[in-house]
Amino acid sequence: MEISLEKINDITLVSLNGELNLDNTHRVREAFKKILKQRKAKVLLDFDNVPFIDSSGIALLIEIVQAFGKSNGAMCLCHVNKKILSVFEITKVSKLFNIFDSHEEALRSF
Amino acid sequence: MTVTKIVDDNIPSKLDLVPGFITAVLEKLQVLHLDEDEVFALKLCLYEALVNAIKHGNKEKSDQAVHVIVKTNKKKIILEVTDQGHGFDFTRIPNPTTEENIGKFHGRGVYLIQNSMDSVKFLNGGRTIQMVKVIK
Repeated sequence: MEISLEKINDITLVSLNGELNLDNTHRVREAFKKILKQRKAKVLLDFDNVPFIDSSGIALLIEIVQAFGKSNGAMCLCHVNKKILSVFEITKVSKLFNIFDSHEEALRSF
Repeated sequence: MTVTKIVDDNIPSKLDLVPGFITAVLEKLQVLHLDEDEVFALKLCLYEALVNAIKHGNKEKSDQAVHVIVKTNKKKIILEVTDQGHGFDFTRIPNPTTEENIGKFHGRGVYLIQNSMDSVKFLNGGRTIQMVKVIK
């Protein structure tokens, strides 16, 4: 799993590259701990290069979304592939996430 | 119809071994020329079943193993994952999609398996989960 960070104005674009499974959730959690130190952080999480997720990955996303809620921040996701979207819909966690097709749409939502 | 066993292996109860083990199983399944959706579903179910077996079944005791069997008759794939724990009451698994459970961090594994496979059975007092996927 590679994690890259880029600043777009006051928004942090976090791009993941690799599967989000039990093997690497700790690395993503560590990256977000640093971002969440900032009050009212805004993050766009790009899933373009995430081909697979398991329930550990879903749990991590819920943990991060809840942490953003507590710190008055905001996070949304974009470029989620159809199979992962289907996993979000089956488990209904899609209700917890703001998911957009493109960067532009996601950035406008902040 | 002949049933062929593709995998009959034990994995020690160590979570860090799961990704490599699953990659090896999926490599063996390549002979079946499954489509992307089928591979995704099988991979997801292997992750969920193995993690449950190691964490909840064997309580991550390194001297206990999880037995994995994968067999096929070319029309369907049967995955069987067996732990060495005490079993569990599989009739009382909470629904993770209810309002009170949706924000919880755990409890989605079996639900994902049931929604990704064509049939799921618990055998051996809950120590074995048998998952069947019909091949398109």
